[in-house]
Amino acid sequence: MLDFIQTGIDGLMVGGLYATVALGITLVFGLVGILNFAHGQSVMLGAYVTFFVVLAGYPFWLGAVLATLAMALFGAALERAVFRRTLGDPLAGLAVSLGLIMIVENLAAAGFTPDPRFVDPPVSGSVQVGPLVLSSQRLLVLVVSVLLIGGFSLFLKRARLGKAIRAMAQSREGAALVGVRVSVISSAIFTIGSALAGAAGALYASLFAITPFMGATPLTKGFILAALGGLGSVPGAIVAGFLLGLAESFGSRYLSASFRDGYGFIILIFALLFLPTGLFGAGKARV
Amino acid sequence: MNRSKWMAAIVALALGLAAGAAQAQTAGTVKLGLIGSLTGPHSGWDVPAAEGVQMAVAEINGAGGVTVAGKKYKIEIIQEDAQSKPDIAATAAQKLLSDDDVHVVIGVLTSVPGVPVATQTAKAKVMYIGGFTALDGIIGTPGKELIFRALDTDQTVASGFVPTVVKELDITKVGMLMPNDDVAKTVIKAYEPLFKKQNVEVAMIEYFQPGTTDFAPVLRKFQNQGMDALFIGYADPDAEAIVRQSLEIGNLPKKFVYRGGSGSPAVKYADKIDGFVWQILTRDLATPGDDKVKGWIERYKAFTKKDVVANTYWALTFYDAVFMLGKAMDAAGTTTDQAAIAAKLKGMVYDGVRKMSFDADGRAVTDVDIGVIKDGKSYSIPEKIL
Repeated sequence: MLDFIQTGIDGLMVGGLYATVALGITLVFGLVGILNFAHGQSVMLGAYVTFFVVLAGYPFWLGAVLATLAMALFGAALERAVFRRTLGDPLAGLAVSLGLIMIVENLAAAGFTPDPRFVDPPVSGSVQVGPLVLSSQRLLVLVVSVLLIGGFSLFLKRARLGKAIRAMAQSREGAALVGVRVSVISSAIFTIGSALAGAAGALYASLFAITPFMGATPLTKGFILAALGGLGSVPGAIVAGFLLGLAESFGSRYLSASFRDGYGFIILIFALLFLPTGLFGAGKARV
Repeated sequence: MNRSKWMAAIVALALGLAAGAAQAQTAGTVKLGLIGSLTGPHSGWDVPAAEGVQMAVAEINGAGGVTVAGKKYKIEIIQEDAQSKPDIAATAAQKLLSDDDVHVVIGVLTSVPGVPVATQTAKAKVMYIGGFTALDGIIGTPGKELIFRALDTDQTVASGFVPTVVKELDITKVGMLMPNDDVAKTVIKAYEPLFKKQNVEVAMIEYFQPGTTDFAPVLRKFQNQGMDALFIGYADPDAEAIVRQSLEIGNLPKKFVYRGGSGSPAVKYADKIDGFVWQILTRDLATPGDDKVKGWIERYKAFTKKDVVANTYWALTFYDAVFMLGKAMDAAGTTTDQAAIAAKLKGMVYDGVRKMSFDADGRAVTDVDIGVIKDGKSYSIPEKIL
């Protein structure tokens, strides 16, 4: 039983990280309609920003904040320079984002070398919680992920920009009619999505190896989660993130670790068969 | 003839003499096909490997070229990028093989892009010297007589490695955690019986999905099993993640046996673990013991303008192989008769930076070093195979 609980907590810890990545994807894809395959590269670049800040002797948290800000700027620049021009042509947007993956990955490999890098986490070792032995850093990642997700939900509910995003999610045309500047909100969503990817990159860096090619895994999982949660559905992406973390953790512990990524796809297939509009039956963007 | 015509005639004569002199200095050129993943996730292995080939060729050419039957031949490298992808690797190999003057192809240290390269070269009946593990299953089969592997097989290394591990770490019960692929299955097949022979119980074998970054769930399977070591492999990112996550989640062995070529996965955790043993499949470059290795390190730094890092081992893999190839060409008296060169390669021992030879099938048999991190200190133990 103890082992079962510990495995569950392991799943929640990684699930929080998945949910943070999925939030960015579901916002950009579901609300703006941009299929940004380069989202994983923002996670990767965020991880490298954190790595270099920590390497320079500064605290991890400063690295995480700078990674978030740097990726927000990167996202804003990408939206302005590239994706705004492909808005009406999804295929062109897709081709551009695939091209961006190649460019960013290979530039990162040339600049940072393909060698794996590890960041010293802000806390190390494990903590005893009753009879449970939990990794301190993973626990911290779970707390930060939950704070990020909670903060973002609060932002959507309370902030003026958040309300405008929700209005646009309900009806793009309706929002425009009541004075919401749709192009500005689209740009803001892209920037926020990239900032979340940067934050997720910093959290990834505190747990896992950083390489120029690390963006593929969070990207694939992020898209699974965005589809599973319902495109554009923020609560859907969050719940799907935790579900995937739990499925991978229990599957790897009690079935086979060599099928780890398969568990997510099994859930996705079942969801598409029985809940084709996502976990919460959104049917359309829902924030 | 006016003055300008005289000048033109003198220049033409000078150019003609210079060209003739250059031809007299070398009898010709040997084209060497160099292939490897210069970009993509496998470039960490193949970029240093390519540097090793380039360095050897620069040194040979700097000394006037390779001597074959008393004549000097310059070596010209024709390089292609396999991009860490099997389809691109196949195309890159085809491109090299379309040049009729390329009689030897060298490079590739990883199996995924390596297998199509070996297949293409075998089809074209062109000599190929690679380094990846899956070559062990290709070499020695009919039609593959011109294929060589420049790294020792697991069987060759393991016979000396396992007793050293047992002695250094003082272990009696291990668990094996490997990626779910063909290489890992070959590795386990080689090591499991050798552990048993040393009276070490292999209590659990688990496979993880290649590309896994979160090992916590699978590591929990090894908790509280009374094991005193984990046998892990074979890529540095996996190994470092396993070491780090084992320490994070606790109740796991703190001794690690690494079927990999670098101690870097454990360096940062040296004071938190009880031991880490790995295979230096060439020579120990971190704490070099002999002058040949020290000299090579200095030349490598001067040539590449880079410091020696964990993956520099791979530069040495092919560096000696290029010199050995030159010796085999000289012994065979030809730069083009690949069957004759292959026969000489299989019958000689080359004493370079490392001592190396090939068995009758084309598998390398070379001296290697075994790396150990224990009590916070790092050192190496030579494993004399030749």
